[in-house]
Amino acid sequence: MKSLKYIALILLAAFAVSCDKANQTASPTAAGFDNNGGTGQGGSLARFTIAQKHLYVVDDKKLHVYSLANASSPKLTSTQPIGEDIETIYSYKDKLFIGSQNSMYIYSISDAGHPDKLGEASHVRACDPVVADDTVAYVTVRGGNNCGGTTNAMYVYDVKNLLNPSQRNVITMDSPWGLGMAGNRLFVCQGSNGLAIYDISNRYYPSLKQRLYDDTYYDVIPYNGMLICMVQGGMLLYELKSDGQILKLAKISG
Amino acid sequence: MKKRILSARWAVLPLLLLLTACDPYRTNPRPQPEPSPKEVEGYAPVYASPEDAAKITATDVRPIEKGGKIYVKGNMLYQVEVGKGIHVINISDGANPQKVKFIHVTGAQEMSIMDNYLYTNHMNDLVVLNIADINNVQLVDRVSGMFHLVDPSLPPDSGWFECIDASKGVVVGWELKTLYKPVCRKN
Repeated sequence: MKSLKYIALILLAAFAVSCDKANQTASPTAAGFDNNGGTGQGGSLARFTIAQKHLYVVDDKKLHVYSLANASSPKLTSTQPIGEDIETIYSYKDKLFIGSQNSMYIYSISDAGHPDKLGEASHVRACDPVVADDTVAYVTVRGGNNCGGTTNAMYVYDVKNLLNPSQRNVITMDSPWGLGMAGNRLFVCQGSNGLAIYDISNRYYPSLKQRLYDDTYYDVIPYNGMLICMVQGGMLLYELKSDGQILKLAKISG
Repeated sequence: MKKRILSARWAVLPLLLLLTACDPYRTNPRPQPEPSPKEVEGYAPVYASPEDAAKITATDVRPIEKGGKIYVKGNMLYQVEVGKGIHVINISDGANPQKVKFIHVTGAQEMSIMDNYLYTNHMNDLVVLNIADINNVQLVDRVSGMFHLVDPSLPPDSGWFECIDASKGVVVGWELKTLYKPVCRKN
């Protein structure tokens, strides 16, 4: 299970680094009707995530962990309070990144059934999905009446020291929602202000490459050479071309 | 003169009663002193009939109305229909995605998949669906009332929200939308 996930991550990274090769090997059909093994991928706004054969669920205050040793019959292994106004959970390797309205929490899942808190980074009160890898965590904070605060920005944290994530950069945004990363690209949904695409070759200093305005974007999943966007009224699919171009494929709505 | 005072009192009493009786916030949190905004992003209730709320089954495809969270595995793309279920879409040809089924799960907001099993929330229960045969989705397990995902009385976040109208059914979820002069507020 663990190795499958690593393979998926490596494939994803390989694709993004070398789109040419990946496009030939990881065409949509290569993935096949893969209903027989492994897990898929959710968006950054998710409250459910599966890692290490465990299902992690965050509600508004707590983290609930279910063992999927027997996939058809989940067994609760632990429940623990995290904080207030928890909104999102993101898993990467043996870590969980949990977003709340005023913090990002990092938990270790070395002991998968019993997550252990490592570090925390506080920020202004706002809605805040997280994506991360070994070195960096991107947290978008969106102000507004429902999220509290007025800040609209992306916080960039150095997470090499998980016990003490340090803020490296803040990028002002219009209205950031969900985000997704694949290799050296970071995709940030900005509602009616488009989909911003950043080059993150330098993890802590994303540089804006392109902005799409085809729809109102809420969340995004880069997957197998595709970009799957949750948009107003449905979904929008793009193909990530080998030359870095992005080709609109279809809108799923109605 | 005395009679006039008495009648004035009698007129005030029902007026006071009327005022308390019509208090629209008695079942909802009291609004903050700040005035209701003209236009604001906030939550609105999603309703269902009680019969509809109980069943979990794969049905014919249906339109995406309140598209929620997304999930992808292999060639299958899923989108939650907030409070109602999950759209299943085949994207093996990305330029021509095809809806395959709609899985009816009341209160659904979240989902994840491992192997042939789809995990989602049926209101505040964790349910496990066998999706090996997407035409014959089977409920195989349920863990009841473990988490607090759907609050039928209050939206997930603080802020302005659209007040609940019980005549429309039971509240099975909340959706973000633009509210005009909302009255209710969660603090």
